[in-house]
Amino acid sequence: MSNGVSTWGLFKNGIFGENPVFRLALSLCPAVAVTSGVKNGFLMGVAVLFVMTMTNVTVSLLRNFISPKVRLPSYVFITATWVTVIDQVMAAYQRAVYKEMGLYIMLIVAFAIILSRAEMFASKNTLWPSFVDGVGMGLGFLFALCLLGVFREFLGKGSLWGYTILPSKPLLIMIMPTGGFFAMGLMMGWLNWMDRKFFGGTGASSGGH
Amino acid sequence: MKDMLKIVLSLVAIFIVAGMIMGVTYKYTAPVRFAAEKKEKEEALKEMAPEATDPIKQAGDWTANSKPYEYFEATSGGKPVAHIASTAGKGYSSYIKMLVSISPDLKIRDVKILGHEETPGLGDQVEDKSFLDQFKGKTLAQIVLVKGETKENIQAVSGATYSSRGVTKGVKDAVQLLIDKYGAGIQTAAQEVAK
Repeated sequence: MSNGVSTWGLFKNGIFGENPVFRLALSLCPAVAVTSGVKNGFLMGVAVLFVMTMTNVTVSLLRNFISPKVRLPSYVFITATWVTVIDQVMAAYQRAVYKEMGLYIMLIVAFAIILSRAEMFASKNTLWPSFVDGVGMGLGFLFALCLLGVFREFLGKGSLWGYTILPSKPLLIMIMPTGGFFAMGLMMGWLNWMDRKFFGGTGASSGGH
Repeated sequence: MKDMLKIVLSLVAIFIVAGMIMGVTYKYTAPVRFAAEKKEKEEALKEMAPEATDPIKQAGDWTANSKPYEYFEATSGGKPVAHIASTAGKGYSSYIKMLVSISPDLKIRDVKILGHEETPGLGDQVEDKSFLDQFKGKTLAQIVLVKGETKENIQAVSGATYSSRGVTKGVKDAVQLLIDKYGAGIQTAAQEVAK
């Protein structure tokens, strides 16, 4: 998969070509759940970026050791280990951030996008491409969450990053889960339209959960 | 058979190494974490009664939702300025931990949310000052959650009814406890004033 693909190409792939949320349509539930505000989306994105990269690197290093028949439990356990480590380190040394993010960190264990990258990419590639893929996918997820967060918080609460901008709440439904799906569908459609119109892409999203 | 052994060994090896990594992390981070949590708790208590000159003393233990909590007394030169109880109320997806303080005349001074796991963006709005400030100066009888505008009672945050209910219930329990413990002497006087 990585043969002949440049580092930059791999990196870009996670952000645009195979964006976890808008293109692969993976991890939609957390993407809807946390993006009622930009800040939550951003913090979640940063946590995922960390775990994603660490898991990809570990899986890639252990790819010849992990028995193929029990690879999924192994991947989940590796993810859970890094999530626990980050949770504990942040709880001890980054109290202020932990108070904001503590709610989300443990959820990352069950993210489809992390498991799918371990299975689809890191288990078949060497250290460096896996690292780049992890960073790219993590940034892609971060980008998607921020975009959704800006859209939903601005329309739903009339604010951005917690600072009030509009005196009213134009579309309260946007911060509800229902609005999250609307926002996600609109974004996906818009990005596909852009892709087709300006970059000549096929604009297809593959299904997921 | 040989295959099975290989599978088991590979899994066990991963689990042991991962367990060790987590254990070592815990060993080094836990003391720092507990110290920070203890300090935060003391600071939170201090915030509930900033004018107290004496150190805030624990006055006893109590249970709410069958979990142990504590209550405290803040004094200034030996005279009580506030009674504080820690408690929790059941919100939408978690118990919302909080501190509640009442003044010696049995009115609510302050409510502070310590921690919760409510839905980010909806349930966590009960942390907003605009919601919590409603409790200030209210008496036990006034702590009723209503939907819509109110000055007498507590207005629920729209989109966070369950969480609002959790906080209100927690405050009510705590105030009831503190009145039971400290109210005997002055309750009659307070009722007189109320009339």
